[in-house]
Amino acid sequence: MLDIKNLSASVDGKKILDGFSLKIKSGEVHAIMGPNGSGKSTLANVLTGKNGYEVEGQILYQGKDLLTLPIEERAQKGLFMAFQYPLEIPGVNTNNFLKTSLNTIRKGKGLKEIDSLDFLKLVKAKTKNLKIDEKILNRQLNVGFSGGEKKKNEILQMTILEPTLAILDETDSGLDIDAIKIVSDGVNSLRSKERSFLIITHYQRLLDYIKPDFVHVLINGKITKTGCSELALELDKIGYEKMGASTQVVV
Amino acid sequence: MMSLNFDAFQKANQSGSELDSIRIKNFNIFQKKGFPSKKEENWKYTDLKTILYNNLNKLELPNHENTSQYNSEWLLKNFEHNQIILVNGDFVSSTFSFEAKEKIKIKPLKTVLKDKKDFKKIRDYFTEQQNSLASLNHALVHDGIFLEIEDNYSFKKPLIIYNFFNKSSENKIINNKCFISLGKNSQLSLLEYYKAEDSIKYFNNTIHHYSIQKNSILKKFSIDNNLDNSYNYHLTNVKSYSNSIFENFLFSSGSSFVKNEIHCDLLESFSSCFINALIFLSKQQHHELKTNINHKHQHCKSSQLVKSILLDKSNGTYQGKIYVDKDAQKTNGYQLSKALILSENSTFNSKPELEIYADDVKCSHGSSTGNIDQNSIFYLMSRGLSKEQANKMLVEGFLNEAIETITEPNIQSLISKLFIDKINKTKFEINEH
Repeated sequence: MLDIKNLSASVDGKKILDGFSLKIKSGEVHAIMGPNGSGKSTLANVLTGKNGYEVEGQILYQGKDLLTLPIEERAQKGLFMAFQYPLEIPGVNTNNFLKTSLNTIRKGKGLKEIDSLDFLKLVKAKTKNLKIDEKILNRQLNVGFSGGEKKKNEILQMTILEPTLAILDETDSGLDIDAIKIVSDGVNSLRSKERSFLIITHYQRLLDYIKPDFVHVLINGKITKTGCSELALELDKIGYEKMGASTQVVV
Repeated sequence: MMSLNFDAFQKANQSGSELDSIRIKNFNIFQKKGFPSKKEENWKYTDLKTILYNNLNKLELPNHENTSQYNSEWLLKNFEHNQIILVNGDFVSSTFSFEAKEKIKIKPLKTVLKDKKDFKKIRDYFTEQQNSLASLNHALVHDGIFLEIEDNYSFKKPLIIYNFFNKSSENKIINNKCFISLGKNSQLSLLEYYKAEDSIKYFNNTIHHYSIQKNSILKKFSIDNNLDNSYNYHLTNVKSYSNSIFENFLFSSGSSFVKNEIHCDLLESFSSCFINALIFLSKQQHHELKTNINHKHQHCKSSQLVKSILLDKSNGTYQGKIYVDKDAQKTNGYQLSKALILSENSTFNSKPELEIYADDVKCSHGSSTGNIDQNSIFYLMSRGLSKEQANKMLVEGFLNEAIETITEPNIQSLISKLFIDKINKTKFEINEH
């Protein structure tokens, strides 16, 4: 599904990702852990298509060159990123935004647009499943939302848009246990053979709820170690610094 | 710039009253001063002299022909309302189908100007020398509206004043006035609606006077949305008495040039004034909103919210002044201007002014001018929206805050619809910064 080969990304001449490679197959859940400044968010941004990075290397998504696709086409082709810091958009109604978003993505997939009534049914069912207060639908998008509400809103969007590849950029940061449960329930309910996840996190805690197939350690812009979910536990014990000293790659 | 035959006008509009000499006096004042230019503080951002010189040559006085001709398609449908129709500034007709007619006194201003007794009621307004355009208006006013609403009467439906301009207004300078007064405990929702025939160029110099007596509410909305080639100066003077409310919403988006100047005097306690505006400009449009809220008495409130969008080579200005008299303790004054500049070639000027002589007041102002937030665009695009869709969504969201201030539901949905149409028709080719 996703094949990243020797990816480098710099901002203003400063290299952030440096020779990063990663392969994700359909149905797999990958976790990337790394200390601050290791390039985790840059990876998510480059995958999503954010401007401002000088990028080298290759990313194949479903066999196609991802880097040449505009941002919205990546989304229409099933790529989704849950933002670390979801933006507040004043004056934009959350429900209208969700509907517009779903319809552009459906259109991109060649599906018929969903009408307001069916959409309302769908979105109400999704909020209920995720135990999210329906009231957020009538509020301005993320405006005045608590940190937890913003992250839950990202997960709500993910479950509505049903992406093929979902990237969660530190979605667990700043969340309490109940909210982490909602996030992981959202992810687990979507897990399927056709869908893959890339979960970026600082902490092992989230991985208690979402069991990844692979855990990668990202240090200084490249993967220094790869293992199964036990690697996360090990990391939790010894910390990134010691892990960084070892450059041995286990695949 | 103008070829005004004042003598001929004077001859044709003899009233036999004091008005005749008032006209001469005011015309002389105008001739001495000329059109306002940027040398005057209030016209710093709007050099009217140059604007008129560059766009309207040899302005003439109207001949008042064909003033009954307008396109009936222009009347708003699916919306129950009373109406007054002005064509080229002249009074054409009025219908108050939904109201108790004995509570309403309506006259074409022309007949008031000719009647010595009636004229006395408005005589003093002809001595207010606010600027040279006002003097010109006093000298050359031909027609307009005189409307009095009695005590204890609330309108059942809104009143729309249609300001239509047909071909006969081409290259004319049109001077008219409206006098509207509300008695005690009365209510009126008023919509000013502007529409001109395609590409007709004219200059409309108009003065509105509103008097709002004790416990009365005047909600005034104005829609200038039809992109046309007109040049306008709209001066509004409001006198607010005890416990009255004046709400003014402007949708300023149509004409080539408009300067809206609003003076509101809060003369007695517990009166309030709300001025909110949505300014949406493109091409080479130049719109200015200048407000002057005078808190003359204690316990009054004023609030202003101006949201502007500027595209292409457009130019927008908001000059908002709050004046607080030494006797106006416990004043609550507020103003906020937010502008989004969507093109490198557009300009927005904002000049907030607070002049406070009382010591127990709450007054604040804020102003921000900026570009569309690229991170927000990225967020929306990552959810599948095209750049154009994302821009539209952000612009709509930005302006919604102003739309939400409209307290008359029918008019809110009307303006909302017009503004969504406007956004959908606009191409947002926005430069990144």
